[in-house]
Amino acid sequence: MSHAAWQALWSSVAWAGLAMLLVMAPATLAAYVLARREFVGKRAVATLISLPLVLPPTAVGYLLLRLFAVDGLLGRDALGVDLDVILTWKAVVIACAVMATPLVVRTARVSFEGVDPRYEDIARTLGHGRAATFVRFTLPLAARGLAAALILGFTRALGEFGATIILAGNIPGRTQTLATAIFSAQQAGRDREADVLLLVALAAGFAAVFATETLSHRQADAATARR
Amino acid sequence: MSDAEPLAVQVRLPLDRFELAVDFATTHRVTGIFGTSGSGKTTLLETVAGLRRGARGSVRFGGETWLDTDARMRVPPERRGIGYVPQDSLLFPHLDVAGNLKAGRGRAVAGGHDFDAAVQNVVRVLDLAPLLARSVRTLSGGERQRVALGRALCSGPRLLLLDEPMASLDAALRRRVLPFLGRVQAEFALPILLVSHDPVEVQALCDDLIVLRDGRVAARGEPRAVLRRPDVFPMAEHEGYQNLLPAVVVETRAETSRVRLGDGTRGPALTVPRSALPVGGRLMVGIPADEVMLALEPPAGISARNAVPARVESVAAAGAFHLVTARIAPGAPPLVAEVTADALVDLGIGEGTDLYLLLKTSAITLYEDAAADPQPASAASEDGAAPAASAG
Repeated sequence: MSHAAWQALWSSVAWAGLAMLLVMAPATLAAYVLARREFVGKRAVATLISLPLVLPPTAVGYLLLRLFAVDGLLGRDALGVDLDVILTWKAVVIACAVMATPLVVRTARVSFEGVDPRYEDIARTLGHGRAATFVRFTLPLAARGLAAALILGFTRALGEFGATIILAGNIPGRTQTLATAIFSAQQAGRDREADVLLLVALAAGFAAVFATETLSHRQADAATARR
Repeated sequence: MSDAEPLAVQVRLPLDRFELAVDFATTHRVTGIFGTSGSGKTTLLETVAGLRRGARGSVRFGGETWLDTDARMRVPPERRGIGYVPQDSLLFPHLDVAGNLKAGRGRAVAGGHDFDAAVQNVVRVLDLAPLLARSVRTLSGGERQRVALGRALCSGPRLLLLDEPMASLDAALRRRVLPFLGRVQAEFALPILLVSHDPVEVQALCDDLIVLRDGRVAARGEPRAVLRRPDVFPMAEHEGYQNLLPAVVVETRAETSRVRLGDGTRGPALTVPRSALPVGGRLMVGIPADEVMLALEPPAGISARNAVPARVESVAAAGAFHLVTARIAPGAPPLVAEVTADALVDLGIGEGTDLYLLLKTSAITLYEDAAADPQPASAASEDGAAPAASAG
């Protein structure tokens, strides 16, 4: 297996991790608001957040490309500075973050919905304000679901292909990821390399889904034991 | 008992079937809100706690205003200084028992309380020491309610709000948890607002009782007197009314005990199921109104162990039956018997009639605190389902 392939694997892990750092906090807050609050346009917001899940990833990639283009909404002309996103590692992180967001928000929302809001009421009567209640009671009570959201989001980011290849390209040693490396190896007929990368992808995917299954079972057990 | 910090509630809140519209003020130590389920009790308590939005009106406690919709003022629950115990305890499942007790530490410390001393005191009063290291998932229903009580008390509240603290427990467990509520009432100088549909609970704990029916105050006053009212009694009977009388153990036998009603000196004696208390121990005896038979002569040759002389104070129609209120001892509250109109006419019973109340021993329930005075013993397990509770 080539040096470039190894580099693609480790870079993918780092970029997916960075994407999750970017996504987790805002996605968790959004999930909490969607789980607890009623407001005008809630369904529209939820739909918008979920959109990357149903759009072709290449469409999302193209949309991001337009956004970050020189004359785009987040481009040099509009911002006054060049963020230098396109065809760089930053593009990989952004593409991964956007594509992972719906999974993280949806999974986190379900886990918040599984927390009886009356626990939060009790915390309030014990003298905790809204923010303290969220941090000290809601988050720990939803912790397993949030961990599952993190794992699912991370693996979704690790496997991102369509949006990445449009926004970041597939430059070995610079923007090549696990997913795009498999594509390159297969296209170039380097079957041995593609096989190894496939096994790596299989192992990572299996471990992730297995972990979330375990977490959700524990949460279900905990929920039934509570009453 | 009077002269607790005043609580004044004047709220209106539309509910599904009716509008909750109550207006009361109290300075009693323990004020009860009694009503059947769906009468608006819990909503009222949540409004006082600040957990329920949408109420119009005002809630004031001590010198503070917690809610005043005219002045657009609403103090959030965390700044009301309350302790709230819901009927399903809602212990935090991610914390153990000790962690739950400490959940309100921040406020207690900010309020100038010696938190460690407060926890120690609560653990002693509620007998929580054997439970401290347990996961809340392994607790029995009665233990959960004790921990929930303890969690609220440790947070240094100025007003305790209890929402049906025993409603989720079966009858046997209620008998064991009731004494703990009695201890909280006796040992903490806290005003308490207690919501309940249990006539025994409100008689045992409350100084003042407000009866709620379809969101409105239907009656109010001394709990026993209020529950005896003909317009309230059918509801109390439906919820399991028992005459609740104070008594003192005077003799313990193999299968039964003898207790003297009242303060233990003058009242008549009863044969009751065996008490766990030593001679001299104070308890409450519960006697269902429909288990009391009346006789004009001292009966002979019957199995009922108790024939107590009494004088009728009043007779009133209540639903399908008549209520005969009779006084049996000068110091003890009167006792209510449920009889048919036919029996009243046949026996010629009216105000001032002297008669005998016949009470089967097996119809009498004891409410006793086996671990309390006069000899504080190491507390027994509160229910058989969790023997580990007493092992610590």
